[in-house]
Amino acid sequence: MIGWAGAFGISQPRDFWRSAPRNFKIGLALLVAYLAIATIGPFIAPYGATEIGTGPPVSGMSLQHPMGVDQIGRDVFSRVLYGAHLVILLSLAGTALGLALGSLIGLLSAYVGGFFDEAVQRIIEAFVSIPYIVLGLLAVYAAGPEFAGRPALMVLVIAIVYAPRIARMARAAALDIVTRDYVTAARLRGERPMSVIWHDLTPNTASTLLVEFALRTGYAPALIAAFGFLGFGVQPPTPEWGAMISENRNLILLAPATVLGPGLSLAFLVIAVNLTAEGLARMLGQSVDLSVQ
Amino acid sequence: MILRLVGLRLFTAALTLLCVSAIVFMAVEILPGDVASNVLGQFSSETARAALREQLHLDEPAIERYFLWLGNVLRGNLGIALSSRRPIADILWPRITNTLILSAAAVAIYIPLALFPAVVQAVNRNRSVDHLISVITLLLASIPDFLLALLLLIIFVVFLPLLPAVSIVTPSTDLVGWLKALILPALTLAIVMAVYAARMLRDNLIDVLEAQHVLMARLRGLPERRVMWIHALPNAIVPTLNVTALNFTYLAGGVVIVEKVFGFPGFGSLMIDAIRFRDVPLVEITVLIASCVYILANLLADLAAILLIPKLRQERA
Repeated sequence: MIGWAGAFGISQPRDFWRSAPRNFKIGLALLVAYLAIATIGPFIAPYGATEIGTGPPVSGMSLQHPMGVDQIGRDVFSRVLYGAHLVILLSLAGTALGLALGSLIGLLSAYVGGFFDEAVQRIIEAFVSIPYIVLGLLAVYAAGPEFAGRPALMVLVIAIVYAPRIARMARAAALDIVTRDYVTAARLRGERPMSVIWHDLTPNTASTLLVEFALRTGYAPALIAAFGFLGFGVQPPTPEWGAMISENRNLILLAPATVLGPGLSLAFLVIAVNLTAEGLARMLGQSVDLSVQ
Repeated sequence: MILRLVGLRLFTAALTLLCVSAIVFMAVEILPGDVASNVLGQFSSETARAALREQLHLDEPAIERYFLWLGNVLRGNLGIALSSRRPIADILWPRITNTLILSAAAVAIYIPLALFPAVVQAVNRNRSVDHLISVITLLLASIPDFLLALLLLIIFVVFLPLLPAVSIVTPSTDLVGWLKALILPALTLAIVMAVYAARMLRDNLIDVLEAQHVLMARLRGLPERRVMWIHALPNAIVPTLNVTALNFTYLAGGVVIVEKVFGFPGFGSLMIDAIRFRDVPLVEITVLIASCVYILANLLADLAAILLIPKLRQERA
């Protein structure tokens, strides 16, 4: 049993940094920059998020408007700054909820085993067989018109898309551990399943779950933006990057900066999280699966 | 033995599909609450709602409705779309055909896109070309399909104005129009699929190039090009066939986003419209078809693995 303290096998923060791969450092630096922008963005933005008449509508890159001005005269750069914290918070919240749900289901399934495990596996398999974007759309549909467009719905959608995938991962990681003697001992001591899961299974699968969390968080901003773009995510005039891309999609020939601005902001965020996640995976000795999104 | 394994795999696929149908039915007809007022809006008249309830058999218990629906779908009776009042089968076919053409184009681009970087990297392994391509594929692997589609759109439509900004095709579109409409969406799908396969193929190729039979071919004095394409590549490709089949599972969902970004009138954009207009029967069918494609591609990948990798046959049996 390694318990919580040794879950990641890291003793000295300094060694941790020195042994980090270069990609991890680049990713983390970029990520810190994003977090800083998300925090102070609204204070340094030259214009308001919904302020109109900031410049000539549908104009391209300029010193006053680095990402141009949209159809109704809003400054796209200011909107990108205002939207940064939204995408980061929603991604973290959605992935965290998905991780909590998924690992609970996966670990419980592995620990209980038998028919329960078999049934849970079939259901997970069914959820995974619905392409993630389609599953997300189905969740938006099931939530009904009342909840449409609320940021909380996006958290739920990400959690629903991720939970079955994380559950499968957690189950696979835990199957190895449920047969160990200390788990048997805990069971024979009469500990309750939830207690064994929390004290024995979770710490021993923690590094797998952490890497899974980091990699999934990397894809969450794109998912949120994709839903925003399709019109099922956070609704305008909220400066959500995907919704902004959709608003400005028709201006692409006249003012490409209005699409490129939020688009590249999103791309570098995803790359930053991915580099960090992969570096983390390598340091924790996990293999990284770059397979299809 | 193999037959039993394949049979078992087919059975689980069918079971999964059954589970999916239950999830879809629940998400569309049970979870959202009152279907009639959701579809028709809050301010719809009671008579209109009653008519819709009648049409969708909403007064019957959910479990009976589910089996009625499942039975109809299995018999090929897909029902009538709510928004256009046309038979769903008539709406589906042209869209599915368009998406199949798009997918075929994507696969046609995918193959060279996966092969060439891998071969170039393997020939120049550990030189700067190899590292450069590795960085590029790693970056491309990090970029989600949605963004890749937008970036390609901006590059090829705005900076190099070669292609149309919207990939609309109609029955009267000619071949050139089709090609122009297909290139960007197909390229997006192909890149997403190719990056992983290319990285894997590079590693495989480097292993194979050091194998005995390749050394033998070199010693026989065969030209390096022949060694690569005839002796090394076929052996390196076998393990990636599994990945290629898995890549098809990506297409099942990838087309939804990519078609919407480029405005291509295929199956994916049909699904989006169905969800937007809360077209109950059409949502159910499109989601079911997408999952079906996913499950089939997965099945194909597993069968490929069972047939191509003898070791797996024994371990699983």
